[in-house]
Amino acid sequence: MKTFLRIIGGLVVLGVIALLAFIFVPVQRTAPAKELAADWQPEPGQGEYVMHASDCVACHTAEGGEPLAGGRAIASPMGTIWSTNITPDTETGIGEWSYDDFRGAMVDGIAKGGTHLYPAMPYENYRLMQEEDIRALYDYLMAEVAPVQNEVQETQLSFPFNLRFGIRAWNWLALTHDAGFNPVGTSDLQDRGQYLVEGPGHCAACHSPRTPFMAQDGVTASDDAFLTGGVIDGWNAPALRGEGSAPQAWTVGELADYLATGRNAHSAANGEMGLVVEHSLQYLTDEDNLAMAAFLKGIDGAEVEAPETVAAAGPIATPDPEADDAGRETAELLISADPEMPLGARLYTDNCIGCHFASGKGAPGLFPELQDNHLVTGSETAPLISVILNGAEVPGTAKRPMTLRMQGYAERLSDDEVAELATWLRGAWGNDAGPVSPADVADVRDTDATH
Amino acid sequence: MTDLPGYPSRRSFLKASAAGAALSGLALPASAQQQPQPVSLDEYQREYLNADEWAFIMAATARLIPSEGDGPGALEARVPVFIDRQLASDYGTADDWYMEGPHDPNAEPARGWQTPLNPAEVYRQAIPAFDAWCQETHGAAFAELSPEQQDASLTSLQNGDVALAGELREFWGLLLSNTKEGYFADPQYGGNHGMQSWVYIGFPGARAAYREWPERHNVKYPLGPVSISGERA
Ligand code: HEC
Ligand code: HEC
Ligand code: HEC
Repeated sequence: MKTFLRIIGGLVVLGVIALLAFIFVPVQRTAPAKELAADWQPEPGQGEYVMHASDCVACHTAEGGEPLAGGRAIASPMGTIWSTNITPDTETGIGEWSYDDFRGAMVDGIAKGGTHLYPAMPYENYRLMQEEDIRALYDYLMAEVAPVQNEVQETQLSFPFNLRFGIRAWNWLALTHDAGFNPVGTSDLQDRGQYLVEGPGHCAACHSPRTPFMAQDGVTASDDAFLTGGVIDGWNAPALRGEGSAPQAWTVGELADYLATGRNAHSAANGEMGLVVEHSLQYLTDEDNLAMAAFLKGIDGAEVEAPETVAAAGPIATPDPEADDAGRETAELLISADPEMPLGARLYTDNCIGCHFASGKGAPGLFPELQDNHLVTGSETAPLISVILNGAEVPGTAKRPMTLRMQGYAERLSDDEVAELATWLRGAWGNDAGPVSPADVADVRDTDATH
Repeated sequence: MTDLPGYPSRRSFLKASAAGAALSGLALPASAQQQPQPVSLDEYQREYLNADEWAFIMAATARLIPSEGDGPGALEARVPVFIDRQLASDYGTADDWYMEGPHDPNAEPARGWQTPLNPAEVYRQAIPAFDAWCQETHGAAFAELSPEQQDASLTSLQNGDVALAGELREFWGLLLSNTKEGYFADPQYGGNHGMQSWVYIGFPGARAAYREWPERHNVKYPLGPVSISGERA
């Protein structure tokens, strides 16, 4: 989430306009798109479900702290932003907040009392949530979450980023989209998926590019750049639409498996995406994960065929992973066991082939495919280097209880060797991405050592 | 001794393998590593053995797997280093073995370890005793004898013709099996230097990657070995 904070970079430019704006225009909250009846009541469990779908816990829980009691440090070049306590404690939490106050934070990024929140809080996306869901969430937080007394550290960024009124001008540029949900209307399933992806799931916060002001470039399905890929904290959050994107390459069922369990027949969810699955998506119903998958599949008009269930129970038949046309040459080289093969191929043979296979296709649900894998071919190489050095792990979920773990090779491979191997992987089986240098590897090794 | 690896019959059988050629430096794979050379056996800092014991181990292992055959000998594979390090470790001190009595020096060999001494102690007591026997029988300590005399002495030891105390009855078996282990174990333990023994017999090491090979009959697997720590040859 750290990179959200690069958003703030744009604030400098806007400082002057902001000052004027701040002086002349009073702060206003957006009116609800829909007035709920006075006796409106959420469905039982609705608020908790919305909380899972919108992943509040991920940011509002400190390392090892009480859920929702805040205090998670979000590093930024300008200083640390601390997430707040959103349990209903009257002194340190949001116990005194009215529904309108809460709504203001979710929809306009305005806290009780009128101060602007840093857009590390993804109100750009939560703004698209339905009134009923925001209300259900509020009721849940106020009535069902136990108050936790926890004074979180105050965020103190250096000048001029400490001047929160500057965010106001930024909001003028970033919040050009209306509050509330506007379904495209392809099918009920896809509309539901659109809603979850745009609003609560805030997928665009990572998977859309950023404007020069670091606002999300593409927040709703009607924006061209929506979900065309972003970079977050040194990781590619790959494009979720367009040729070669995972939703186009995978079936709807495979995509839903990935969302619900962090693994599927092709890939595994690591880094921030692993956390999204762990804290949020695994708690959603099959219908909702299928809905998101169906929406993403059909986003540019592709035909959508959705199965009934996600990650069906029972054994997975592991097909003999045969290389396809693009991968054949690489597979043949590996199978030949030719002593003259290039060093990268040799390192793959010595270290990786037992699980990811000569075809680079791995085994469904167990060993990710390395052919056309966006972690392997991304513009950002640190994640690939890190997986090789430190290994990786997808935690178990209700539907796939087994932890998926790969061991690291930091002890076994030198910087030069990791660079050779990574460079080779990025060109194997038809992959087509640039080289990795030993210096890149050393950087990742050093960063890990200081953490 | 007929089951010793590297005995002439087996050597000539394996001689033609590509791996054997790789060893001799003719067909070094492009991807083999340039490993820094370790200190020579003369300069090696011993962890357990004293100078006399070291001289004995050098001489004895050199006869058990001699250097003048087709493949590497025990000295090229640095077997003495392996034995020294093992004796200094929890193997030497039998840390996790059952060491309570009774110990019966006359028990069947199949009845296992029949001495209260741990392996390190067996070497420490048996080497001087065996050297004394060599002195008496051939006129010099084992390390000073000619290769022919050494072979004869080892044969006597193997056949039980050297009268050692009952507590030392495991000595020959230990010496022989530790020598084989030092020759074939993963190089991380100090022996099998450069995976020479693996290259020699065509064993590809710690690489779980033969899915496509079991059905290729009469096709040689050409790739050199990899060690547990990732060393390539
Ligand atoms: C990506 C991280 C992130 C997520 C996800 C997130 N928040 Fe926040 N939120 C923050 C940060 C950081 C702040 C503090 C911002 C600041 O200090 O300006 C914040 C502030 C708030 C505040 C203002 C509290 C105060 O005392 O000023 C509320 C209310 C809030 N969040 C509610 C929620 C709810 C409800 C959810 C789930 C729907 C949620 N947040 C999800 C990061 C997040
Ligand atoms: C906090 C940032 C973040 C959020 C929020 C997020 N993602 Fe991701 N996502 C990532 C990252 C980073 C990756 C790459 C993970 C990897 O390489 O293992 C990723 C990978 C994926 C992939 C696999 C793409 C590929 O090409 O392999 C899919 C599908 C996906 N995300 C869908 C979603 C959906 C749907 C949502 C919203 C419900 C979402 N993500 C929300 C960061 C995020
Ligand atoms: C013992 C089996 C095993 C071996 C050997 C192995 N891996 Fe993995 N690998 C896994 C598993 C299981 C995962 C899934 C864990 C995860 O991604 O969090 C994985 C994940 C990956 C990923 C991430 C894929 C994704 O979709 O996010 C990459 C890249 C990768 N491995 C590369 C390698 C390389 C390169 C080697 C050799 C140096 C190697 N693996 C050796 C089992 C293995």
